[in-house]
Amino acid sequence: MKFHRTHLCTGLLLAGAILGGCKDRNAVKVYRVAKAETESPAPQAAAHDSSGMGALPPMGAPADIPGPAAQPSQVKGNPPPDWEAQPLSTMRQASYLVKGANGETADISLVALAGPAGGVLDNVNRWLSQLGRTAVTGEDLAQKSQHVASPLGDITVVDLQGLPDGADPAKDGRIIAGIVTADGKSWFFKMRGNAALAGSQKEGFLKWIGTVQVGADASGPEPAVPADLPAVPADHPAIPGASAAPGTLSAPAAGPEKIKWEAPANWKPGAPAAMRYASFAVAGQNGETADISVSVFGGDGGGDLGNVNRWRSQIGLGEVDAAGLKPLLVPVAGKDNEILTVDMAGPKGRVLAGWAKIGSRTWFFKLIAPDGLAGSEKAAFVKFLGSVQFQP
Amino acid sequence: MLHRLFDVISSLKLTVVCLSLAIVLVFVGTMAQVNFGIHEVQHRYFQSLIVWWPPASQGLKIPVFPGGHLIGAVLLVNLIAAHLRRFRWTWRTFGIHLTHLGLIIILAGGLFTDLLSVESFMRLAPGETKNYSEDSRAMELAVIDGSDKELDQVTAIPEARLKQGGTIESESLPFRVVVRHFYQNSRLQPLDKAGPGAVSAATQGVGSQVVVTEVPRATAENERDLQSVVVEIAPGQAAPSLGTWLVSDQLGAPQTFSFAGKTWRLLMRPQRYYKPYSLTLKKFTHERYAGTQIAKNFASHAVLNDPERNESRDVLIYMNHPLRYRGETFFQSGFEQDDSATILQDVYNPSFIAPYVACVIVSAGLLFQFGYHFVGFLRRRKTSPAQ
Repeated sequence: MKFHRTHLCTGLLLAGAILGGCKDRNAVKVYRVAKAETESPAPQAAAHDSSGMGALPPMGAPADIPGPAAQPSQVKGNPPPDWEAQPLSTMRQASYLVKGANGETADISLVALAGPAGGVLDNVNRWLSQLGRTAVTGEDLAQKSQHVASPLGDITVVDLQGLPDGADPAKDGRIIAGIVTADGKSWFFKMRGNAALAGSQKEGFLKWIGTVQVGADASGPEPAVPADLPAVPADHPAIPGASAAPGTLSAPAAGPEKIKWEAPANWKPGAPAAMRYASFAVAGQNGETADISVSVFGGDGGGDLGNVNRWRSQIGLGEVDAAGLKPLLVPVAGKDNEILTVDMAGPKGRVLAGWAKIGSRTWFFKLIAPDGLAGSEKAAFVKFLGSVQFQP
Repeated sequence: MLHRLFDVISSLKLTVVCLSLAIVLVFVGTMAQVNFGIHEVQHRYFQSLIVWWPPASQGLKIPVFPGGHLIGAVLLVNLIAAHLRRFRWTWRTFGIHLTHLGLIIILAGGLFTDLLSVESFMRLAPGETKNYSEDSRAMELAVIDGSDKELDQVTAIPEARLKQGGTIESESLPFRVVVRHFYQNSRLQPLDKAGPGAVSAATQGVGSQVVVTEVPRATAENERDLQSVVVEIAPGQAAPSLGTWLVSDQLGAPQTFSFAGKTWRLLMRPQRYYKPYSLTLKKFTHERYAGTQIAKNFASHAVLNDPERNESRDVLIYMNHPLRYRGETFFQSGFEQDDSATILQDVYNPSFIAPYVACVIVSAGLLFQFGYHFVGFLRRRKTSPAQ
C-alpha cells in the first residue's frame, strides 16, 4: 500500500488523541468540600525523618507509608453525655461535637503527635493566632494556665478567647485546650467553638481529659495485663487480654482511683513511669536500692500464677504450678480488703509483692531489691500494705 | 519527500532499532535504580521523551538517550505505518494482521495507562468515612478559604506546578501565589539551633523560626521526599505583600492569614482525589496463620454511599477481590501495624481492559495463522504424489 494523505491524517489524529488524553498534572484545581477540621496537625514524620525537628510544631506524614499519616490509637474516656461522637479522621484520636440551644457548636478533638510537637508555648501561641490574638510569653502562660491530673499525666490547660476576622461567632470564639506529653507523644485536647457554649462545656471538658487513657486495649474490654510491664521480654508468650505486640503492653486501666496509703518515712518518691500509679525508692547502706511500685490493671491483671512466675523469672527462680503457688501465698489484711502477698528470694534478688482485686481492677504493690535490703524493708512493706485503703 | 519519510517510518529497520534501544534503556534504567530508586527511574527513564544528563543538574542538561515514551511512541507509529503499508486483505495474512493489531493495542494501552492512570490510597480507621483518596508521593499546596459556614473552598496547587516556579494566579484567589523556592526533599531545623549565619526560610508564620535545607532525593523503596516550598502571598499593587511563607509536609498544622475579610489556611498535603461517593469502614479483619504473624487473610467491610446514584450498600474488599466502582478499583493493599486502619489502593485506569482485549486478539490471530497454514499443509500432504 502506497503512502496516502489519509495515512498522515490517521497518524495525526492518533497523536492528537494521545496528547489530548494526557493528564494535566500542572493544573490548579478549585473545589468546594465539606468543612475540614478546625485543627489538623498530622502526626510527625518519624520512621525515616532524620531532621531532628522535635522542637518544631506538628510535622507531616510519615515518609514510609502511602497516604496520610493517620494511626488513630484506641482512646477511652468519659465524655459528657451531650457530646456527639464524630467519625474519626486521619488526624483525630477522638472527635466530638456539642451543640447549643441556638445553633451554636463547639468542636472537641484529641490529636496525638510524636515528640514535643512544638511544646506548650508555641502551640498556645498558634491557637492564639487562630483566634486573632497576639502571642504570649512563657511567664504569661504560666500565670494563665491550669493543670489537670490524668492517666496520661499532668495536663496543661489554657482557656483562650478571641474571634478572628470573618469567623462565625456561632462556631468560633474560644479555645479551651490541654497538652500533655506521655509515652513519647504529645497529646492535644482541644475544644473550639462558640465562646459561651465552650464556657458552659468547660467543666465537662476538664473532667473528660482527666479520664482519657490511650492504648491498644483502651477501647475494648477491660485490659488484663500483668504488672511491671517493662519486664516482659519480647518473646514472652501471648498474655490473655493483652493485644499489644510482644514486648509492648497497653496502658493501665486506671481512671482517677480512690486509694490512699501511708508510706514509710524512708521511702522516697521514685521517678514517675508511664505504667505505674506510684513509685518509691529506698536506698540501702551499701548503695543498693529497692524499687517499690504501685500499679493497677483491668481484670485479674494476668492472673496470680502468671504474675508470680514472671516475678520468679526476674529473680532467677523457676516456675511453679498451681499446686506450688498455694504455699507461697500469704494474705495480709489491708484497711478494708485482704491483700495476697508473696515473698520470694532467688539468685538475682528478692521480690515482695502484694495484690488485691478491687471491683473490675487489680492493684499491684511490688518491692524488688537485693535480698538483704528487701528483708530489712519487709516489715515496712507489710505495714504499708496494711495502710492501703481503697475507698476512703 | 513524504514518501521517503513514510518508507523510513514503516521500515523494519526502525522496528529493530527501537527494540534495541528499548533493551538498552531497560538495562540502564534497571541499573540506575541503585542510585535513584524505582520511582525516580520510572520518571526519568521510562516516563519521559528524553533521558537527560546529568540527572540532578539544575543548569545545563544534555539529551543522552531516547526515553521510554519516545521509543514506545515511535514503535507504535512504526507498527501502524507498517501495517497500513503492507496491508492486503487475504485470508493468508489475516492472522498476521490480527496479531499486529493486538500488539498495537498493547502498545497503545500501555501508553494510555501511563498517561491517564492514577494510583492513590485511602486509609480508613473503623468508623471513619472518606470521599477522597490521596497520592502516595505527589503533594499539593492547599490554599483554603474557610469563610463559608458549610463548605471550604480549596485551591489546590499541585507539586508539578510548584516545581515550575513563577507566579500562580487563580480566579478563586484574590491574591497571587509567587513560588520563591521549591525544595523537592528537605529537612527543617529550628532557627535557634541552626548555628550562626542561618537564615530563616520565610518572613511569616512558623517559617520565620525555621531553616530549610535541601537534601538529596529519597531513593529507598520505603522512603519518600519531604517537600517544602516558600511562597509569597502577593495581593498585587492594591495592597502590600503578605510576606513569604514556608509550607511543608513536615508542618502538619495549617498556617493562617487574613486577607480581604477572610481567613485563609495554607498547608502542604498529599494530593487528593475527591469522589462523588464515600466509603465508611465498618470493620477490618486481619487473620493470621496460627502461631505466626503471616497474614492469612485481610478484609475490609465498608459501606459505599453514593448520593448521586442514590446507592448505599455494604461492600467487602479483600485479597484478590477488589471493589470496582465508577471506573475505579479499590484493592485491599495493606493495614496499619496494629490493625487500627486499613489501607486501600485506589486505581483509576480507563485503559485497563486493553491488555485483556489485546491478548485475546493476538491469541486469535496466532491461532488463525497457524491453523490456516496447518490446514494448508494437511491439504498439500493429502494431494502430494508421494501419498
